[in-house]
Amino acid sequence: MSKFSKVLCLTLALAMVCVCFAGCGGAKAGNYTAKNTEFVIGMSGPLTGPAAIYGIGVKNGAQLAVDEINEQGGLNGIKFKLEATDDMHDTKKVSTNYSSLLEKGMQVSLGCVTSAPCAEWTDLSHEDNVFFLTPSASNDDIPKYENGYQMCFADGNQGIVAAEYVNDNFKGQTIGIFYKSDDNYSAGIYNKFKDSLSKDVKTIDTVFTAANETSFDEQINKLKDCKFIFMPIYYTPASIFMTQAKGIIADDAVYYGCDGFDGIDKAEGFDITSIPQEVSMLSHFDSNATEGVAADFIKKYTDAFGTETLNQFAASAYDCVYALYGAMKKADVKDVTISASDLSDILQKEFTGGYAFENGVTGGGEPITWESTGYVNKKAIKFIIKEMDK
Amino acid sequence: MDFITTLINGLSIGGIYAMIALGYTMVYGIAKMLNFAHGDIIMVGGYTIYVFLNMTGHPAIAIITAIIFCLILGVTIEKVAYKPLRGASPLAVLITAIGVSYLLQSLAQIIFGSAPKMVTIFNFGTKNIGGLRIQISTIVTLIATIIVMIALSLFVKFTKMGRAMIATSEDKDATQLMGINVNGVITVTFAIGSSLAAIAGLFYLMKSPSLTNTLGSMPGIKAFTAAVIGGIGSIPGAMLGGFLLGIVECISYSIPVIAPYTDAIEFLILIVILLVRPTGILGKKRREKV
Amino acid sequence: MSKLKGFKWKYYINYAVVFVVGLILTLMSFTVGLEQSTIYLLEKMLIAIILAVSLNLVVGFLGELSLGHAGFMCVGAYLGGKISLILADKLGTGPLSLIISLTVGGLCAAICGVIIGLPALRLKGDYLAIVTLGFGEIVKSIFQNTSKESFGGALGLDTPRYDKYTLFIFGFALVLLTLAVVQNLMRSKHGRAITSIRDNEIAARATGINVTKYKLMAFTVSAFFAGIAGVLYSFSNFKVNSYTFGYNYSIEILVMVVLGGIGSINGSIISAALITFLNTKLATILTGDKAVLQNLFYAVILIIIVIYNNSPALKGFREKYDLKKMFSRVVKHNDPSVIRDDQGKWARIPTKIPMDEILSTDVQPNQSTLKPDKSKEDK
Repeated sequence: MSKFSKVLCLTLALAMVCVCFAGCGGAKAGNYTAKNTEFVIGMSGPLTGPAAIYGIGVKNGAQLAVDEINEQGGLNGIKFKLEATDDMHDTKKVSTNYSSLLEKGMQVSLGCVTSAPCAEWTDLSHEDNVFFLTPSASNDDIPKYENGYQMCFADGNQGIVAAEYVNDNFKGQTIGIFYKSDDNYSAGIYNKFKDSLSKDVKTIDTVFTAANETSFDEQINKLKDCKFIFMPIYYTPASIFMTQAKGIIADDAVYYGCDGFDGIDKAEGFDITSIPQEVSMLSHFDSNATEGVAADFIKKYTDAFGTETLNQFAASAYDCVYALYGAMKKADVKDVTISASDLSDILQKEFTGGYAFENGVTGGGEPITWESTGYVNKKAIKFIIKEMDK
Repeated sequence: MDFITTLINGLSIGGIYAMIALGYTMVYGIAKMLNFAHGDIIMVGGYTIYVFLNMTGHPAIAIITAIIFCLILGVTIEKVAYKPLRGASPLAVLITAIGVSYLLQSLAQIIFGSAPKMVTIFNFGTKNIGGLRIQISTIVTLIATIIVMIALSLFVKFTKMGRAMIATSEDKDATQLMGINVNGVITVTFAIGSSLAAIAGLFYLMKSPSLTNTLGSMPGIKAFTAAVIGGIGSIPGAMLGGFLLGIVECISYSIPVIAPYTDAIEFLILIVILLVRPTGILGKKRREKV
Repeated sequence: MSKLKGFKWKYYINYAVVFVVGLILTLMSFTVGLEQSTIYLLEKMLIAIILAVSLNLVVGFLGELSLGHAGFMCVGAYLGGKISLILADKLGTGPLSLIISLTVGGLCAAICGVIIGLPALRLKGDYLAIVTLGFGEIVKSIFQNTSKESFGGALGLDTPRYDKYTLFIFGFALVLLTLAVVQNLMRSKHGRAITSIRDNEIAARATGINVTKYKLMAFTVSAFFAGIAGVLYSFSNFKVNSYTFGYNYSIEILVMVVLGGIGSINGSIISAALITFLNTKLATILTGDKAVLQNLFYAVILIIIVIYNNSPALKGFREKYDLKKMFSRVVKHNDPSVIRDDQGKWARIPTKIPMDEILSTDVQPNQSTLKPDKSKEDK
């Protein structure tokens, strides 16, 4: 019995391993797109976990655009298909997601939703030359290769624009900064902001980390005399900060955020009108639009998926799909089995060759163009989400 | 003056840690198990408050329902997941607790989605005392923590059930032989621990009104750290550890150079304290017998 | 002939299996070719195996709970990655650069192992668990807040990637190395000393075992291989981001060790490979809104398996329907460092030598050895 079971066990283990991988065997750099019947757009994003709201928003926004394009007959009669994978905002999962998408026939992609995983995606897709236009991974390093483009503003640029505003308006004064030191979005904006800030402006810097998003009393205490507080963070900690700062920070102060503030006025249960201070942000999407394409998008999205995940990420993803569609239409792509690399070359030529995306939901309705560095050129809108209480 | 404000802020966040740590220390001290899911019961408490606050509009009803719900949940978890493992290795129990923690988190995401929910409950505002601006909620948290600490100490010292708990923590087998229902004692311990978690959830919401499904995990770990610093199993120790950790956190945040490394500093203090006093500040030294 | 008979081939069966599997896959990759996703999956499995086997040294054989294994991996990944980045200009990303980085990353992690092993000399059980967890968080926090020039800051460190089609062959070699070191250590007198500390520290000390030395040894070796796994990770990815090495990852590794059977090296190998495989496959099958179900399944299965395997009440049931029984000789009892009769049991009940019962005159040693002394579980 014992010898038999040993041999059996060994044979089984070997057989299992062989079966496992025999099915996966194939050509090394296989042409996975040969069997495509639709254009496949791949994406990876956090569909579960703490950042899921952004991933689901992007997925829904992109799906909405894909469905609309397909309803109108697709591109030259060829429909589009969105393949979304879950990376839980974890860099470790990106390589498998990427390769499985590639094997599912991905021809063009939206990259990753969040910056840290997208940094991995950048290098992976560069190897195979797969074009990506990310709706939301805003780190400066994301479009470092020629196949990567951003639909959102790069973090550094947001920091520079904000610093210019501060230099003009707060010369010789002291402003406060509140940022998240272990978050690449927040730290990225902060670093560029500090670099571009003129010497006349003094700052009081306060930080928080992912492990401490509960209580900001200490930071508020340090910022209590500031009349202008720059907050390059997402809206959830911002809303906690504003709630806790009530009555401590002067009522005539200004909270100034970047596109991460988007959605703060719609956060469930958070009443922005109860905040006495002014809340402003610099963004590319007006989530309160009442007319134009942005309003249409908001209505369509709300009908399909509700308001919970409606944010600038969703709008940006919607635009990404249309921008890709527009560029492919302009280049007149007819071959459904076109390889990712060939399509990437075509799209790169379009994007660097002055392709302008019209009628975007983001960018305030003006045409959106791209620099050869991959950064987006579009109108930044400074919103006053809530005016100061009189 | 600034330093005093820093201290007060430290007590304010420390109060929440202390409240969670009290629950941890009860369960650890008596059932001798590290209940990793304790932090997630706080999250469940928060969501229950949110649901019933929206449903009825009465904070009192919401809080009482949350306490009862967490109590039932805690006892159910104990009966279903931990009781079968009584007598098994502590490691197996710890892994089950981690499993329960993941289970609660994913259930919360399925039911409530991933978007943070904002809950406004009891906005007391601030008060000026001698030139210091103090949030009333800080005072409420502090007083409540001290009351709970004293009540628990008295309960453990002077009631029959409390004595049974001490006996169980000393020696389960001997306690059983004395005619005490050890399983019943542990169930009561979990009931108390879980209702404390619900109260901690309330204080958490008063401080930070944002609800997500992973809300409990980091405060849970911080609170466990606090309980270990104070000497796990010791009720005053849990409170002391919680306040200490909160104050350290705030002092660290007030110094710009070290502010980004606050988490590292907190855990470093834990390691240093344990190296100097391996059983924590107020922990009893147990002589190891052969 | 007699020499062949004395050859304990079951000692070497896991090397053989790993070697043969590695060989087959290598041949396959050179002839028919492997899919990219298969290779990535393979790399992940190998990293997980190294991590699980090395954690088993501390959890299974030393009997101390460590929740900071990902912290050691993080140290290895960052420092090994940094070295490979420096070497990339001069040596490229070839095997030489890989080996130097592996050595440096492993040694740095081992130094951290010594540092974290020191409190382990005074602390036990859950206290040590929280200290190791804290260590992991400290490492994470430090690397996350470094400047962009030194270690990449919040976005993580750019590391050169090794040739993606052949890295897994190195992975197999490293798994074999890990197995060789850990198994030989456990089968030597040092290994018996380590297990004796697990079973009864005071008795071990009384018999003249240098507890300090052996505890440090276990922590250091375990940390060294975690560092090696980290360097392998940095070579299989373009970015090393300390965000990914939080305590959740440590727990994931611990779960692999526990599900594979605490103290069973072969069990760790199988469960690490299987869990990584399932995790990746489930992530590709369950997409979109169903993705959250994966965590739910995972949690439920974890709870059920742990209760089924460990519940004292289910002992009779388990023995009656033991699926492992027919494989048990191969899978379980090939390790002489573990007392054969106790091996199945010790995952449930820490085996303690009931010294005071043996020493007291009115208790018969034969009868008393059956009942473990529960009063010492508290320590």
